[in-house]
Amino acid sequence: MRKLFVLASSVATTFLLANAAMAHTPLFSCYDSGGAIQCEGGFSDGSSAAGVVVHLLDGDGKTIKDLKLDENSEVTFEKPASKYSVQFDAGEGHRIDVAGEDIAE
Amino acid sequence: MIRIVIAAALVLTMSAPAWAHFQMIYTPEAAMTDGGEVDLKLVFTHPFEAGHTMDMAKPQQFFMVQKGKKTNLMDKLKEITWTSLTNSGAAYEAKVAVRKMGDYTFCLVPEPYLEKEENAYIQQITKVVLNNKGLPTGWDAPVGLPAEIVPLDKPYALWTGNVFRGVVLRDGKPVPNVEMEVEYINHPPIPGKNAFQKKALATAPQDAFVTMGIKADANGQFSFGIPKAGWWGFCALGAGAADKLNGKELSQDAVIWVQAKDMK
Repeated sequence: MRKLFVLASSVATTFLLANAAMAHTPLFSCYDSGGAIQCEGGFSDGSSAAGVVVHLLDGDGKTIKDLKLDENSEVTFEKPASKYSVQFDAGEGHRIDVAGEDIAE
Repeated sequence: MIRIVIAAALVLTMSAPAWAHFQMIYTPEAAMTDGGEVDLKLVFTHPFEAGHTMDMAKPQQFFMVQKGKKTNLMDKLKEITWTSLTNSGAAYEAKVAVRKMGDYTFCLVPEPYLEKEENAYIQQITKVVLNNKGLPTGWDAPVGLPAEIVPLDKPYALWTGNVFRGVVLRDGKPVPNVEMEVEYINHPPIPGKNAFQKKALATAPQDAFVTMGIKADANGQFSFGIPKAGWWGFCALGAGAADKLNGKELSQDAVIWVQAKDMK
């Protein structure tokens, strides 16, 4: 019985944790500051995205480079010459893709 | 004869409109989806009636706070003439580029205005919080103004019918039981023009609905259910500590603007 209770409460905890993670939406935005691309990430509850991995992908979706958001949840990189996209990757359900052609000055 | 004059004078005094002065910082959109150039209009007026617009002197301070960083915007100010439904007055505008995600708190400390009819000064320290792309970065943080309304609900993310709450602060401490005025921008400015639109969005059944009176509670907190989409201004009267200027009375007020949107 006790085991069952522990199990139930751990299920409940998992559920709660999962819920908490669901309650915030990832946010990601990039702009072209004259050749250099600046991206910033965050979460709708205001929590920091520092350390979140950002994939720089080519036109075929292959990784050119993996980057990390700095302590201000920002990253800057040189604009690739050919077609590219940027992916904010905070795990399952928390990924955002931004196409290079949508990144404006 | 004297009696008639007195009676007439009394009637005149009593029927003088109780509309409130409101320092506006107006921009069409509080919740931006893609940044850009924010066009801010600084107008000292009577928003519900789009009535008499007072001449603003050059403000003492105009700045924005983003992620805790303060940016002076005094050099962005440009003098304009604002046209109300009854007159025109000196006002200011500023165009500010917004690119980064997050909250942008714009603060205005105007030069005190001498209201000759009351022989007293009014200084409305005004705040508006805009947001770009939904990332919250400090909408709830006090800026540290001498008189300030700190929101308890995101002032740019309100549906019509939501309750807006705030706390009135004097030098960072709550002001208990402070008297407040609430007014609606009933004649929204015409896009691209420095003027109010003629058409009213709502009709007040009586003067008490033009400038609504509410009070903060013992903790300086107030709440207000928003009945209609658009911009709403909240003003805490005499919230600041300064109460005298040049030997005259000074009302140092705190103002905040919030925008509500219909669910559709």
